[in-house]
Amino acid sequence: MEEERRAGNRKLAGWCQNFILSMADLDDQVRDFSTVKNLDDGSDSSDRSCRKGHKSTLPLVKPLSVEMDKETGFRRSVQMCLEHIREAMLRHRWQEAADYMASYPQILEDRNGATAVLYKEVVWRICTEILHHHPRATMESCNITYERMKHSGVKLYLTICLEHCFHLLLNGQMEEAKQQLSVAESWRYGKESATQHHKVQLIQAYRSLLDYIIWCDKRRTRSKNNPFDSDHQDLHNYFRQASVHLQEILKSPGVWDPFILSYVEMLEFYGDHVEALNVLNNYALNKRFPPNPNAHVFLYQFLKRHNTPEKKLIKVLKNLHVLVPSHELMLEYSYFLLQSEKIGDSQKALGVLLEMLDFACWRSNLDVWRCLQAVVQDLRLRDDWERIVQEQMASRQDWWPVLHFTSFHAAKDSKENPQLWKVKSSLLKILCPGRTLGYSGKKR
Amino acid sequence: MDEDATAGYREPCAQCAAVNWGISEEGRFYCMSCHNVIERTIEVVDLSVAGSSNRLKSIAKGPRTSKEERGYTWLVCEGFQFILKNQADALLRLGVDPNFKEVLCQMWRLYLQKSQQAYTSDRLRGSRFRPLNIDSDSDCATESSIVSERESNPSSFSEIDSDCSGSADERTPRRRNRLMRMRKTLALVHLALVWSREALTLSDLLRLVRDGHVPYLNAYEQFPEEMKLSGNKSSVFNTKSIPSHRLVHKVAQSLVLVLELPAFPPIGPENLLHPAMLSMRYLADANLPDGLHRWVCSLMERPQKSKRDPSPALPRHDVQAAAHIIVTMKLIFGLDDHTEWELSNKVTPHDPSENLFSFRRWFRLMGTALGRAEQKRDRDMARKQWKPKKPIILRRRLAGRAMKTKRISEQLQMCFEKLSSSPAGVQDVGLSSFRFCWGDEDGSNGPSLHHMKLDGVLSLEDDVLTPLNSSYWHPGLRRCKLMHCQGSAPGHYPEFEPSLPRSFVWVLRLFSFLLDVEPCYLFQEVLEVERRLVGSRLPGQRNKRRLRNRTGKEEEQQEERS
Repeated sequence: MEEERRAGNRKLAGWCQNFILSMADLDDQVRDFSTVKNLDDGSDSSDRSCRKGHKSTLPLVKPLSVEMDKETGFRRSVQMCLEHIREAMLRHRWQEAADYMASYPQILEDRNGATAVLYKEVVWRICTEILHHHPRATMESCNITYERMKHSGVKLYLTICLEHCFHLLLNGQMEEAKQQLSVAESWRYGKESATQHHKVQLIQAYRSLLDYIIWCDKRRTRSKNNPFDSDHQDLHNYFRQASVHLQEILKSPGVWDPFILSYVEMLEFYGDHVEALNVLNNYALNKRFPPNPNAHVFLYQFLKRHNTPEKKLIKVLKNLHVLVPSHELMLEYSYFLLQSEKIGDSQKALGVLLEMLDFACWRSNLDVWRCLQAVVQDLRLRDDWERIVQEQMASRQDWWPVLHFTSFHAAKDSKENPQLWKVKSSLLKILCPGRTLGYSGKKR
Repeated sequence: MDEDATAGYREPCAQCAAVNWGISEEGRFYCMSCHNVIERTIEVVDLSVAGSSNRLKSIAKGPRTSKEERGYTWLVCEGFQFILKNQADALLRLGVDPNFKEVLCQMWRLYLQKSQQAYTSDRLRGSRFRPLNIDSDSDCATESSIVSERESNPSSFSEIDSDCSGSADERTPRRRNRLMRMRKTLALVHLALVWSREALTLSDLLRLVRDGHVPYLNAYEQFPEEMKLSGNKSSVFNTKSIPSHRLVHKVAQSLVLVLELPAFPPIGPENLLHPAMLSMRYLADANLPDGLHRWVCSLMERPQKSKRDPSPALPRHDVQAAAHIIVTMKLIFGLDDHTEWELSNKVTPHDPSENLFSFRRWFRLMGTALGRAEQKRDRDMARKQWKPKKPIILRRRLAGRAMKTKRISEQLQMCFEKLSSSPAGVQDVGLSSFRFCWGDEDGSNGPSLHHMKLDGVLSLEDDVLTPLNSSYWHPGLRRCKLMHCQGSAPGHYPEFEPSLPRSFVWVLRLFSFLLDVEPCYLFQEVLEVERRLVGSRLPGQRNKRRLRNRTGKEEEQQEERS
């Protein structure tokens, strides 16, 4: 058994070259343990994987993480320290957390390679959290923490870069943030794995966003002075830098609201409306992208800016209606439907407005009720208006009266908004015929 | 890093804190880890040097023998000897008799002789540590047992070549116990202290080690410059934790067998190490009245009841004293969650002068003090710094990474130390044999109850002071015969504990805090005392026995004798 174990270890030493675990550590454990039982488990796993020919980072943590009575003092100390830090952070006792955190970084020197990355992440996140909240923390200490943890290993480099940049942005330091992202963009280590690729994309996208911000600043300052050619060129450079990556990121599915807005703004400035429309359409209508009501809102606003015929606007708003029936643009939608000459649009408008009023946030909105009143008046010109109204109100008879037409509402409306009360009472008989409701007209 | 080119420029990089400089084509310094280019250029270095002719002498091309690399070959036992000497000196500084150092020296020599590392004709070759410049490029062995492989490779001579044959022998079980390890230093020191009858008990020694007054943790850092640590054998100097009382005692006992020591010099009752004196100290520390001391002593003087009494060669005076105190308290107060409170109820209303000892008052006082002290101990434990300033590097190619990680950790620590009110690590506590301070001064844990009288719990019957409590309870005393229970750490205490009375468990907790041992360890000793007191041939049920008559008789006999 001993021989096997040693043979196994020899093979491992040869194969796992990226792995930091020291064999002497294992030796140490051998001498420390008085019973050999648990070791057999560890060596079995290592032997098995040797025979399989594993070249990956073998988690030789098993013998080291086995719960023995003889937990080392170091391990106990850091566990207790972590618990104290966690307790202090949960209760927002930042001074106490900082006190304990001052004794925690020794965990980074732990020689167990498998958990090294985990601990680096833990230390990084806790440090930054405490520094964000501590009253006496300076920007400098935050920067130092980010820099040190960034360079402590390769797995966390990109993530920490991104977070450092966010931190700088929060503090208004755009230039430094941009510099950080440029450095991060040009960083290369080993083979690019899938996770790295994602993060690099994100980094590029944010750098482009920062380029856009700088572009905005420059445009603003430029409009104050006389436009010079060199300035224009400079501006255009930023535009080009930003658009490269923005285009990239807008192609992959996701929620990219700030990016798309900035890109569209830049395109509009340079007059490339076609591209802008393409991008917006893709964002709103591409099935691969997650459903995003904002996408439709952006598209609608863009189309409105460019004087599109009403039909197209109605189409966009129809999509939005499916996603968010209570959106404020639904009012505009119902106006469009009311003004259109198609038969059936008034009916649709009724549906849209009733769905809006299903939500309590529109309960006291005079405009919505007025629009509803207008729609109903429009409908009354037809013969079968009662049937249409009843069709729509059928499913609502149970709960609409309670939602809108109780005596409490009557009192409130007559006090606060008499016009609303007037409109609502006029609609009362139409929407809920044959029911005696408490929405009376007594003014108190 | 191009040592020659960068001329030993060792400033850490501003971006990544690594010391890994190279020279680019333009002659600028750049960091090889993060490609950060700095202002320094090679011409600047040359210019500053070539400016004055005096300086030319200091640039020596070729092999540089700087002072750091000079050293000598030394053995493992020399290292341990150095550590032992430091520990002994520390203890002498704390006030131990200088005779102790002599005793320790003798014991160390005896150990070396018995384990055939020195003072013997057929010497076992131990591991040697050679300085680095002899074999600078070979990596050290990862396993000492890959001897055969390396011996077939004559070209790769690492630092531990032929010594491995010796160390391979050391791996046989018979020899394994002879290997010197860090915890043996403490065991040797403890043996020497017991032999010289110093009043420093094992729990005191361990407390001193924990607080850093006696070097143990990373003691190898105090080696002189010439003794360099490298290679995988140096991990023997690694200290991962401070050994427990039980462990050191076990090691010390096995050492007694190895060293074939004769019987220890007897300890008379007037000596401070005697359990009677120790019990006085613990009673004072636990704020119990001095009157209890004579009861504890009379308990200790009872003859051995059980016939088969495996007396260990190495006595544990501290644990014994504490166990006797606990049993005495059980005798007098009952500690069954009932009697002691009733007795306290009787005391309180009839005590205008407040001179009578009340268990309830003591419990409350002690409870708050103990709680605070335990919290402080936990806080100190959480903040203790274990990692050494000069880590032992087992493989040289990992040295760079280890140093970089160390620098990162140090810088983070500095960052937070600026924010925190107190420095990292544990504060230096004042030295004292007592864990608590009772009295009226500032900073005391509470008022002192030492002067209080036990009249409330004792009564005068037939001219003999007897406890009012007339019953005594104990858990099953029969020794557990199961293999894995014998000598296992917690024993059956975790199973018993929920059914034991809370006041007893609390008193156990108090004394295990005072001695810094596990409650289960102390519980086992209490069981031993009870076995001697009551006999172990009883059925394993909890029962109350009337001992009043027996104790009364014994007291009478003693009174007559005195």
